[in-house]
Amino acid sequence: MPTEPKHPEPKHPDDNLMERFDRAGARKFRARDAIIAAVIVSAILIVCAGPSILKAGHEETSAIGRAAVLAVGKPAGWIANRLPFHSVADTATDWLSPDPNLSGLPGFTDDIATGANADIPLVTPDAFNPSLIGAPAPPKMRLHTLLVTGDSMSEPMDSYIADTLTPDGVRVVQDPHIGTGISSTLIVNWGKLSAYQVQHYHPNAVVVFIGANDSYPMPGPNGRQVNCCGVEWATIYAQRVRQMMNTYRQDGMARVYWLMLPAMRDPARTQNGLVVNAAINVAAEPWLDQIRIINTVPVFTPGDHYRDSMTINGQPTIVRESDGIHLNNAGSQLASKLVLASVDQDFTR
Amino acid sequence: MLFPSVQFGIFFPIVLALSWALMSRPALWKPFILVASYVFYAAASPIFCLLLGGVTLWNYGAARLIHRSASEQRRRVLCAVAVTGNLLQLGFFKYYTFFAQSFARVFHDVGLGVPLPLINIALPVGVSFFTFQAISYTVDVKRRLIEPAGLLDTAIYLSFFPHLVSGPIVRAREFLPQLASPRDPRRVAVSAGLTLIGIGLVKKVVIADYLGSKVVDPVFAVPHAYHGPDVLLAAYAYTAQIYCDFSGYTDMAIGLALLLGFVFPQNFNSPYRSTGFQEFWRRWHMTLSRFLRDFLYIPLGGNRGPKWFMYRNLMITMLLGGLWHGAGWTYVIWGGLHGVGVVSNHAMKERFKAPRTPAWLRWFVTFNLVALLFIIFRAPSIGVAWSLFKRLGSWGTPTLLIAPVALAIAVTIIPQLLPPRPFQRLQDWAGRLNPAILAPALAVLILFCAATVPSDGVAPFIYFRF
Repeated sequence: MPTEPKHPEPKHPDDNLMERFDRAGARKFRARDAIIAAVIVSAILIVCAGPSILKAGHEETSAIGRAAVLAVGKPAGWIANRLPFHSVADTATDWLSPDPNLSGLPGFTDDIATGANADIPLVTPDAFNPSLIGAPAPPKMRLHTLLVTGDSMSEPMDSYIADTLTPDGVRVVQDPHIGTGISSTLIVNWGKLSAYQVQHYHPNAVVVFIGANDSYPMPGPNGRQVNCCGVEWATIYAQRVRQMMNTYRQDGMARVYWLMLPAMRDPARTQNGLVVNAAINVAAEPWLDQIRIINTVPVFTPGDHYRDSMTINGQPTIVRESDGIHLNNAGSQLASKLVLASVDQDFTR
Repeated sequence: MLFPSVQFGIFFPIVLALSWALMSRPALWKPFILVASYVFYAAASPIFCLLLGGVTLWNYGAARLIHRSASEQRRRVLCAVAVTGNLLQLGFFKYYTFFAQSFARVFHDVGLGVPLPLINIALPVGVSFFTFQAISYTVDVKRRLIEPAGLLDTAIYLSFFPHLVSGPIVRAREFLPQLASPRDPRRVAVSAGLTLIGIGLVKKVVIADYLGSKVVDPVFAVPHAYHGPDVLLAAYAYTAQIYCDFSGYTDMAIGLALLLGFVFPQNFNSPYRSTGFQEFWRRWHMTLSRFLRDFLYIPLGGNRGPKWFMYRNLMITMLLGGLWHGAGWTYVIWGGLHGVGVVSNHAMKERFKAPRTPAWLRWFVTFNLVALLFIIFRAPSIGVAWSLFKRLGSWGTPTLLIAPVALAIAVTIIPQLLPPRPFQRLQDWAGRLNPAILAPALAVLILFCAATVPSDGVAPFIYFRF
């Protein structure tokens, strides 16, 4: 017979209730039961969520973790796809997903014109930023909705922007997607997501800060994988960025503010960042009157030399997170000021 | 490695099976569980395994030296050196950036330049927890409460993966006796462990992360965008979120340890039913409270001497307890205000031997003050906290109050206010059910919880950063 717990509440912190499971009669099973329970849980998860385990393996960033999860995920996915439980579980739990439904939206096209055979692309007036050629600036528009998006680089910059603009009646949508990249469509397809954001939020200004994770191989011509970060990879990346810029600019009705990556502590990451930045510049070329490239390099890492701290308002200030990648609160606040200065060139608020 | 992650879902069943297979042979089991714990830790930060190893060696050596020493004076000096070493390590990793920047501003303003390099040092996951455990071990050896353990046992005690990164803070005298002999494979609280894992999962993944993303994060990020009702809702939502996040982690940690045959101390006991701050700290993060009491408050003098002396000790304890949570002035202020609450409770008890106000009123005041003080705790800066308090006074339409948010807050708070016995009975009943019944239920629960996780993944546990 299980015994009644005599002291359900501690009278003093010294009573740490180390005997509570004995008193409740809970320690009546065998170690074998624990292992059987673990096997049952694992078996059910494999048959019902095998493909999700496989997907988690592909998303894993560390090589060892990825190998370990894929070692389980591949057979789990194979088993689950041959049994009906996976689709039943998906149907039963789909309604709980907090992610936006991106099905039906166009993703990245990845078709790269091969220079020599392609027609010479037309240069349009959209390619000129009037301020750079001394032409009169167009009248400022009223800023009603500003979307701040990107990967983890966009946080907490988005909050500082929102904090500044919200009192002026501007609707600021913060939509960061942590751990994502344009070069990988595993977690989120930015081609689809950008279309979804425009359809749902109708922003007339979009701020994008993304690229710290971007070094994934991408499908190139004839479906072969192109590894980071040569010219071919940069070309595909620029094509994807251009597609997103085109979505965000909404036929010239909106303005896009795309931040370049500052140098990172890890030289290999800095090198990737140089390629990403070059691709961003190339991608923007057709619409320089609608797309503003915000170069963070001279501000945070002049000469592409990484630094943890800099002087802000006469005060020595740490501007980077301990990972040597992200901007910390002070750095993000400074980045938000760069963005807002650019936004104020185009909009009234 | 987060508990609610695919990696851990693969890691744990393998460790569980091997652990029980090797349990009867401690010479094999101990190295195995140590390696498993270091693998678990390395998944978060491989380089900091060296730190964990260093802390282990330092405290192992110190405890041995203290134990061998016959002179009380020498024991005291050795213990002081060991504790100072632990605190210096903790101070460097956790507080260097905070103090370097604070000093830099002061020195720069008077034209003395920057005294310390301004770099942002990575915080090793769980450093506060394993450092506190290490201190408790060394001090308990000095106090002759325990015998020093062997190197392997010390290493397992400090690194045992269920409590490694976020507690509970298990005392050596609670854990080391469990290492002394193999765990009995015929007396395992399997169903209680599965139940706690399920409860913890729901608390963390379903309630805490939902409230965080829907209410708390937006309001604390952009206070200007919200009026008083939403800010108040965010305070209550954070009150529920932090409880579900931290107690959810603790539930999972205790449940996992149970499956491995180990028992951890209780860490939460319905803290939101407290009718005073003193009681709150006896119910909230109980293992931290008793650590601060035994290793800070009592060594400071405790309640010996005149009253003002006791109040001073309480304030110092609560201020440092606040600072333990993070390197920021918001934490210090939060700890200080809780200290004022605890001191007030003591003073009231001294003044009026029996409470003069009804219990419901004392609960109402305590709960709301705790919730409002969490604004300071959660705010990224004092300025944001001040903005939020100012916004509390601005009337406007609530925009974030929707049925699921209200429900999530209600299911967190209300059960804590009801008599605990029925809930305890229910949990005890589940703990006696056949594991073969509970296991499929847990699997289905995991599937439903996983479906609520956004593509970004599970949010990190709040107490990971402490």
